[in-house]
Amino acid sequence: MSFEMWAEKYRPKHLDEMVNQKEIVERLKSFAKSKNVPHCIFAGPPGTGKTTAALCLARDLYGDTYREHIMELNASDERGIDVVRETVKTFARAKSIGAVGFKIMILDEADNMTSDAQQALRRTMERYTETCRFILCANYSGKIIEPIQSRCAPFRFTFLPRPEHDAYLLRIAKNESVMLLPDGLDAIYEVCGGDLRRAVNTLQAAASTGKHVDAVLVYSITGRASPSDVQKMLMTAVNGDFISARAQLREMIQKYGVAGTDIIRQIHVEVFRANIPEKVKLKVAELVGEADFRLVEGSDEEIQLSALLAKLVEIGSEIKK
Amino acid sequence: MYAPWVVKYKPKSTSEIVGNAEAIKIFREWLLSWRKGLPRYRAALLYGPPGVGKTVTVEALALELSIELVEKNASDYRTEEAINRFAGLSSQYSSLFGGTRMILLDELDGLTGDADRGGVKAIIEVVKNAKCPVVLTANDAYDPRLAVLRNYCLLIEFKKPPVGEVVKRLKAICIHEGIQADESALKFIAQRSEGDVRSAVNDLQALSQGKTKLTYDDVVWLAYRDRRDTIFNVLRIIFYSRTSFNAKQAVSMADVDLDMLFEWVYENVPAHFNDPHDLATAMHALSMADLYRGRIRATQDWGLTRYVIDHLTVGVALSRQYSKMQGWIPFKFPGRIQALSKSKGERFMQQSIALKVKRRCHISASRAIREFLPYLKIIFQNDAQMAANTAKWLELEDEMISYMAGEKAKAIIALMK
Repeated sequence: MSFEMWAEKYRPKHLDEMVNQKEIVERLKSFAKSKNVPHCIFAGPPGTGKTTAALCLARDLYGDTYREHIMELNASDERGIDVVRETVKTFARAKSIGAVGFKIMILDEADNMTSDAQQALRRTMERYTETCRFILCANYSGKIIEPIQSRCAPFRFTFLPRPEHDAYLLRIAKNESVMLLPDGLDAIYEVCGGDLRRAVNTLQAAASTGKHVDAVLVYSITGRASPSDVQKMLMTAVNGDFISARAQLREMIQKYGVAGTDIIRQIHVEVFRANIPEKVKLKVAELVGEADFRLVEGSDEEIQLSALLAKLVEIGSEIKK
Repeated sequence: MYAPWVVKYKPKSTSEIVGNAEAIKIFREWLLSWRKGLPRYRAALLYGPPGVGKTVTVEALALELSIELVEKNASDYRTEEAINRFAGLSSQYSSLFGGTRMILLDELDGLTGDADRGGVKAIIEVVKNAKCPVVLTANDAYDPRLAVLRNYCLLIEFKKPPVGEVVKRLKAICIHEGIQADESALKFIAQRSEGDVRSAVNDLQALSQGKTKLTYDDVVWLAYRDRRDTIFNVLRIIFYSRTSFNAKQAVSMADVDLDMLFEWVYENVPAHFNDPHDLATAMHALSMADLYRGRIRATQDWGLTRYVIDHLTVGVALSRQYSKMQGWIPFKFPGRIQALSKSKGERFMQQSIALKVKRRCHISASRAIREFLPYLKIIFQNDAQMAANTAKWLELEDEMISYMAGEKAKAIIALMK
């Protein structure tokens, strides 16, 4: 009987069970064995096992009562400086009881912390090293300030290679008696690109239809799951209908919670595939880059992106002339 | 005819009261228990936020159970002496006509230190010796002044009724008044009232009396009290000025919130700049204005506001080059804000589901919305058994299940039991 989300059910419990990221796992195992862990940064794309590795390490280190010795904080939900001052500090300074003399603080999505909070964190890390070790998980280590980076052992996680990706999904399929066909597996890999969490969620959603999981089903599931049809929006703009292109954009952002930077990335890909004169492509790419930079700076997603759409309307009208 | 609707449509029976079925049931049982002799508590304290139906419940039940109601509320003096004269007598003897009677001391929060000297003490005495039901109402049962009194009372909590219930009530009133009202408009009023049915009915009357139709656009103004005329003038200046001086005038003459003005301009630019080149230039100006807003947020340097204004007014005005003059184009309310307030409920729901996922799946709530919710929805709409197990594991509430599963929700909830 399946009683939970498969992404969670099949999450490895111990470092030994982790099939991927071999070098990293070996080093973490030696940490567990020697019962000593430095501050770490786990950097890498989503769904590559950063949080899992941190949890496995904790379990191997402390045994089944590991929950008493760790704290998980999610920086994108609690990213302010107050959290670092209060929650993190309170946890970090209390001494740990047991064979291992320190506790572990897992800071997930740490690249979403404000730089003020990171500065505060740096002090906390330094002062309470004796009692607490930090594992920072992040998509981009570049967004973590230098002083923290220099205090941490870096680990770079990469997307799962195809054979390991396949083995993992096939094992789940077998366990859950799901008929996963080879072209379905191909499709999942193509769509999720080695992001295991997305792959497992896609598989489970596909399995819930009760049908054999083939390529057609996988594509229809991902279509329903992420309705951000960037290509359609761009073509609406190029064809001169700014108002409905803007409405599509608004829906993506407000209704489906698609991040502006994700939309930008897709636009960037689509621009070079689009049916517009070659010379124009670079010009658009330049605008995309500027918008991207402004979003990073903290500008409004919809405003910046719809200014870009307006530019496309203009380009579209010039092509027609 | 001219009675305020809150009076005109005051529930006359408990079946007309919005929400709080459980509280009403407990209260009714307590009243009925008096027929079998003195109950454990001689007083009931109905508490909860204003406008949720405490007093109305008392009045309606008195009518239904044919109990004579003797009432006193905050506007009356409530010194020890006044209370004794009034309540002491009423509680000792049976009603004039031989029937039962109950005493209502309304709005207990209104007791003040000076004017109501000894008031609470007197009430306690009344309650102790009561020979008939004594009902007290208050907003906050845990007010320290009521600490002792609480021990002698059956506490009955009245909660804010769900939005859907309030909407139903508003709808019934509209039908009675012959008003054709959009569901979204009523929902907006209900949400804004935050469970205060009385104020919702008041708002409804203010917005729709004398009309035959009520649309979302008629009510959305409630939240944004900028006056229409001012903002329309400002927009006209910004869109049709030919000099930077005139364009800049717009902001100084109007007492409008700059962020709100930005939204108005952003909404209406496409309709008033019909040439693609002009549109792109105007939108570029807006994106520049927004860039400076971002810089203000980051640096808290409000001096940069002047550049926001430059781009928002001059930048937009001078974008007009090729656009043809059209006839009258009405200004539209900022759709982005409208959409935000419309999807507020949905976003709140997504957030609460995401928090449940977060507890189980080691992922931030914001990420859970993107990476789990879409798949959960598909699962919930396809496989009831898998959905039921997952819902149990995530400890989802019924309304979350309905949100994700739609019509399949009933089957899933049944499977969970």
